[in-house]
Amino acid sequence: MGSSGVSIELYVLLSAVLFIMGTIGVLLRRNAILVFMSVELMLNAANLALVAFARQWAGGDGHLMVFFVMTVAAAEVAVGLALIVAIFRTKKSIDIDNLHLFKE
Amino acid sequence: MELTLFLIVGAIAIVSAAMMLISENAVYSALFLILNFACIAFLFLMLHAPFLAMVQITVYAGAIMVLFLFVIMLLGAERVVPGFQPRFRWFTPIVVVLALVFLVIASIAVINGEVDTTEPRKSQPYVRVVHVLDGAGTLDFYLGDQRVAQGLAFGQASEYLQWRDGEYQLTAVEAGQDPQGATPLLDQMIALEKGKSYSLTAVGRLGEAAPQLVTAAHTLDYSDQKDGLRAVVVNALPDRLRVDLRDMDTNETLVGALRYGETREFQLSKGVRSLALYPTGSQRTPIAELPEQELEANTLVLWVFAEQRQPDNSFRDVIVNLRADATTTFGSPTHIGRLLLSNYVLPFQLVGLLLLVAMIGAIVLTHEALGPRPRLVRRLANPPAVVSQTAPTEPSK
Repeated sequence: MGSSGVSIELYVLLSAVLFIMGTIGVLLRRNAILVFMSVELMLNAANLALVAFARQWAGGDGHLMVFFVMTVAAAEVAVGLALIVAIFRTKKSIDIDNLHLFKE
Repeated sequence: MELTLFLIVGAIAIVSAAMMLISENAVYSALFLILNFACIAFLFLMLHAPFLAMVQITVYAGAIMVLFLFVIMLLGAERVVPGFQPRFRWFTPIVVVLALVFLVIASIAVINGEVDTTEPRKSQPYVRVVHVLDGAGTLDFYLGDQRVAQGLAFGQASEYLQWRDGEYQLTAVEAGQDPQGATPLLDQMIALEKGKSYSLTAVGRLGEAAPQLVTAAHTLDYSDQKDGLRAVVVNALPDRLRVDLRDMDTNETLVGALRYGETREFQLSKGVRSLALYPTGSQRTPIAELPEQELEANTLVLWVFAEQRQPDNSFRDVIVNLRADATTTFGSPTHIGRLLLSNYVLPFQLVGLLLLVAMIGAIVLTHEALGPRPRLVRRLANPPAVVSQTAPTEPSK
């Protein structure tokens, strides 16, 4: 196994940065679709860390986890976007600050 | 070189993520996110995960983001509210500060952690057993107290199995017998090291030449093979002191003076070859021949020179030709596929089920006639007066 020129720490650090940016997006953006995209960013950051550790330990299990995360993300996007479409039909808006169904 | 590449791609990833966060238009955000995913796919390639890189491009950047763009366009929701409403919610500074604090703590944990992240580890060894023990019927092989092969016939090899490294006792007993009770035909200690794959060949002749184990180990290094293949030969002919393996067309000696019980590994170029085995020093009559065959690149062939007992109890020397894919490259589709269908069948099926449920859920949620939401809204929006208006019309029919 040829040694990689980049240490795993850098990959983990990059993954942490991307994860934080995703978190910020989830917490701060008002557009529900943007919130969803930020969740995807967080999932990808976690994937990057998993692949980096799989490389470090030379095991295939990390890759399998990433594969499953991708599949679950696909399912989540399908349902989430359907929800957004359904909400948009009734509320005519996808601003998450307006989405308190029980308040009014 | 690799570090510069990483820094450039990582910087693009971070910048595109930031642009995704701050763009006002959701379409731009989606496009920046696609760029970010492409960068991550590139990083997957650098981490020796080609399969995942391709899946990342096709599934994430392709399917999922197209779905996002489609929904954005469908709803016309590029902006939440047209006008000068803030894009961000009111607690922005708190969140940013907390996120930065968390990031600093996480990086300190990564850098100061006890995890040794400097040196890539080696994978656990792969093991298979080959049975060319003359005079024995089908055999069971045990490594320690676990079975590695069941009912192996003469000239057969078991599948490759991944095993924990360490020292093991390899025993061979006749098929179906209890390894504790029966006297083993073969009993030998072997040491398995990480990062190697082992072909354990049981050689000998019952009653005459003591059965023994020939351990052929090769490294799992996958980077050196482009259009060649690796060949391993084992001499299991007790009567032949030394043998040569020659290419019959070019008369080139591939292996010279191989003793009984010895093994040797060498590289071959791919192509059609016919091989023959000669006693060392003699050129005239081959002991055994391997008919013309195509050798494919990136495979591992194992040729065992053995003598096979014929039905009339005479012996004939043969070359047992065992072919296997070179132990699968780390991260390749074959590797992932093997793992999926061996250790991860159940999660794989469950995830498939989850996708099916998600598909049905998406249909139910978006289909107007099926969705619970529109019906509820209609009932709330329509006061009872409308109901009383329609009610009298029914009895008049």
